[in-house]
Amino acid sequence: MTLDTLIAEARSRLLARARREGLADVGYAVVESPLGPLWIAVGPRGVAMISYGGAPNAADLGRLVRTYGPGIVPDARRTAAVARELDQYFSGRRRSFDVAFDLSGLTPFQQGVLRATARVRYGDLATYRTVAQRAGNADAARAAGAAVGANPIPIVVPCHRVVASDGSLGGYAGGLDAKRRLLAIERGDDVPTGGWLRSGDP
Amino acid sequence: MVRTFGELLERYERELFAYALRLSADRDEADDLYQDTFLAAFRAWPPPRSGNERAWLYRIATNKAIDRSRRTRPRVKLEDIELAAPERDSATTLDVARAVELLPPGQRAAFVLRQVQGLPYAEIAETLGCSEVAARARVSEATKVVRRRIA
Repeated sequence: MTLDTLIAEARSRLLARARREGLADVGYAVVESPLGPLWIAVGPRGVAMISYGGAPNAADLGRLVRTYGPGIVPDARRTAAVARELDQYFSGRRRSFDVAFDLSGLTPFQQGVLRATARVRYGDLATYRTVAQRAGNADAARAAGAAVGANPIPIVVPCHRVVASDGSLGGYAGGLDAKRRLLAIERGDDVPTGGWLRSGDP
Repeated sequence: MVRTFGELLERYERELFAYALRLSADRDEADDLYQDTFLAAFRAWPPPRSGNERAWLYRIATNKAIDRSRRTRPRVKLEDIELAAPERDSATTLDVARAVELLPPGQRAAFVLRQVQGLPYAEIAETLGCSEVAARARVSEATKVVRRRIA
């Protein structure tokens, strides 16, 4: 038995106690994906954050701490369900996500824009203007663009389906290549083989 | 800056677990000490001074180890053991405590009675129900074991 094994077992018992005391409301893990490592956090109301690059986005992490306190802990069991759905999505076997997502701590406008974004169907595209309209503020295309650009839960809230009115791709947190790749998956012409997803505590 | 319990764990749990192993009789005790230390830190969050999380965790772990040692072995007072500790910079109170803890009960009693309580050999013999020669031999043997363990 190695020191790492002892620590891993001690940690899992520690986190079970912390959860029972309400000291660990959010669990996170890093999962591998065809778009590189994703840092995923799941809170009491669902998936709260997905970060490209395998580390949390500082601003979004700050929002999570303000919303849920410091009890944000490594916990791959909490992220297992969304990791499985992402695996299915990337391999073309899932067209919508069943896991709940959590936009707590965002402004009502941001939440409205992201809920409208979440209603854009698999394989469809919407413009920033359309999303602003659906969020109830047709004149706020630019602000809607900012809200979509700051989406803390990419892929599950499919901001990659939102593009500029002139048909150009606009921007994407994971990079434009990632956006193209996701849209290609949804067109069915770039489906990675399944079974690639590995999940574990960082 | 540490903002979440996850960051606290990822940065410090490894060295704190190693420290807990040194303070404990076995893995299970070390496991308990690690858990109690971090749980106490979570409950008391934030640390008194931001950026000082490491020293804060060590202090919590040390206090818990001493509390445990007092609770489970009330006959051995830590401050007394400190007085009995050989003059060695590298041996801490807890090293001595641990060495004492590992002694078989008879040897432990002999060591504590002489090196901690400072009893004369006649009284130690009486307490242990043996001859004064035997008492000297037991104390001498126990002290050798402790010195060897903390060397």
